[in-house]
Amino acid sequence: MKGSHLLAALAVFVLSLLVPLVVQTDYVLQILFRIYLFAALGLAWNLVGGYAGQLSLGHAAYFGAGAYGLALFSGKLGISPWLAVLFGIMVALACALLIGGVSFRLRGPYFVLATIAFGEVLRLIVKNLPGITGGDVGLQVPALFHVNVNRAFYWAAVLLTALAYATTVAISRARFGYYLMAIREDEDTALSIGIGAARTKLLALLISAALTSLAGSLYGSLFLYVVPDQVLSIDVSNEIAIVAMLGGAGTVLGPIVGSVVLESASEIFKNIFKEAHLLIYGVLLVVVVLFLPEGIVGTLAAYLRRRAMFGGIGARAKGLAAR
Amino acid sequence: MDFYASLQAVINGLLTGALYALVGMGLALIFGVMRIVNFAHGAFMMLGMYATYVLFTRTDVSPYILFILAGIVLFAVGYAIYYGLLRPIHGKSDFMQILLTLGVGLICTDGILLIFGADYHQINIPLLSRDFHLGSHISVNAPWVVSFGIAVVLALALYLFVMRTMLGRAARAIAQNRYAAPLMGINVFRVQAISFAIGIAAAGIAGGLLLPVFYIYPQVGDQFTLKAFVIVVLGGMESIVGAALAGLVLGVVESLTSLYWGNEWALAVDFIIFLLVLSLKPSGIFGSQKA
Repeated sequence: MKGSHLLAALAVFVLSLLVPLVVQTDYVLQILFRIYLFAALGLAWNLVGGYAGQLSLGHAAYFGAGAYGLALFSGKLGISPWLAVLFGIMVALACALLIGGVSFRLRGPYFVLATIAFGEVLRLIVKNLPGITGGDVGLQVPALFHVNVNRAFYWAAVLLTALAYATTVAISRARFGYYLMAIREDEDTALSIGIGAARTKLLALLISAALTSLAGSLYGSLFLYVVPDQVLSIDVSNEIAIVAMLGGAGTVLGPIVGSVVLESASEIFKNIFKEAHLLIYGVLLVVVVLFLPEGIVGTLAAYLRRRAMFGGIGARAKGLAAR
Repeated sequence: MDFYASLQAVINGLLTGALYALVGMGLALIFGVMRIVNFAHGAFMMLGMYATYVLFTRTDVSPYILFILAGIVLFAVGYAIYYGLLRPIHGKSDFMQILLTLGVGLICTDGILLIFGADYHQINIPLLSRDFHLGSHISVNAPWVVSFGIAVVLALALYLFVMRTMLGRAARAIAQNRYAAPLMGINVFRVQAISFAIGIAAAGIAGGLLLPVFYIYPQVGDQFTLKAFVIVVLGGMESIVGAALAGLVLGVVESLTSLYWGNEWALAVDFIIFLLVLSLKPSGIFGSQKA
């Protein structure tokens, strides 16, 4: 990372932490919480969906594992909430091992279908075992913060985003990140040059699942309650993927930009369309696929690269024409 | 659980399964044969239900006639979506198709939600109060039998379309080799557009046939998208007959699961079978080995 980039990232981070000193309304803080939470989720998804090119539409499983892990281990077994968050990560990692172990052997649409099916099976199991999980009624989630709740959750979300961002930067510059990109570009070629594709993809999924689980714990704890049709819903999986794809899959900044755009847009449209606000997700998906297949950041970066490359020639041509 | 309860469940399963088969065969044509990953399939089925519902409440004609109109409407929708949205991204990765059709599905579902609200609706036709009795233990509701009969006829027609008509042959030729097909004088886009529209129409017609026996609400199609993929994979991708059989099997499996374990496990069992087939025998239960 160039010094200037690092400085900019640090400045944004510090400014983000200072926001609650200016913004006092709970409503705004909760929207900002959601923006940072989904930025972190998008960044986590991006490791698998963007860098490794494995479009997972089952990330709700890890999100739900975080929320339910906290509720079950702390609420039911009575261990400290922060320790329960770690247990939630363990559950998410176990899910990731199982899901990755089966799905990564499949390619293209079959992989996507398998991730959806796993997410749905988990949702249905949680729904149908009311003795353990509370079933449809759901479970109470212990509070992670007791004072200045909205500010505390906001700060936690900012920290989580920073963690996910730092992880992404580190991976994108490491050998591991190049392995992932090689697998995305051509898995057979990657295999032939000695990249253990299965192991590499699984490791990326484990990191991604751990971060997603942390976000799930935060989300569950803010609302103090989880129900399967909310945290384990396919809508969560879709939203996470849309955030990353909209901003630009396989770019470091993409998911953050995607979350800012998508979550603000959805907040605005929630007031107009009420329950039909997923409409905006549908429209954004179609727009992204047709007009911005690289996402906002990817398209912008490509434009800037082109201008840097051909700008000189273009300017000279103009100069010649003028003469 | 006695023998008659199981037999009743199998019969109910076959009746539901015929409609699953119709939805699944539509996707088998779109995904299995043409390799277009359509994540909006269930949403199109839902549109078929609402189209029939709207026509029924306006005209009071039997839904067993109106489903034809729903099929025509959905054919037009499918044709327009192919040319408007899918053709521009042809040749790009599967993921683009997945995201695009996911978006189209969300637009359909939430568009309907916006227009009709989230309420559940049900129609009432005289046929609903009629039951057929087979012996003293088995009885079936008349609308299911009528839907079953129509679904079987349409499934047969769809099979003949894919296997015997010039258009169906062309669609399969494109699936075999999309570069050689145009050299043989096949208009790839036209054939795919019509086949896609027919697949969508099949989903829409199945929706129309389900209307008398189902509650309708905007998200009713959601579970059918994944179910349709389960059917196509179970049936072995390119096999239209396989999809038909897989639809029937899925109907019976769900019905028996509901009987012995409870209704709430039916969907989970679907997906678990799906995952097992995907990981153990990706060519499907009824498919040939090559897929």
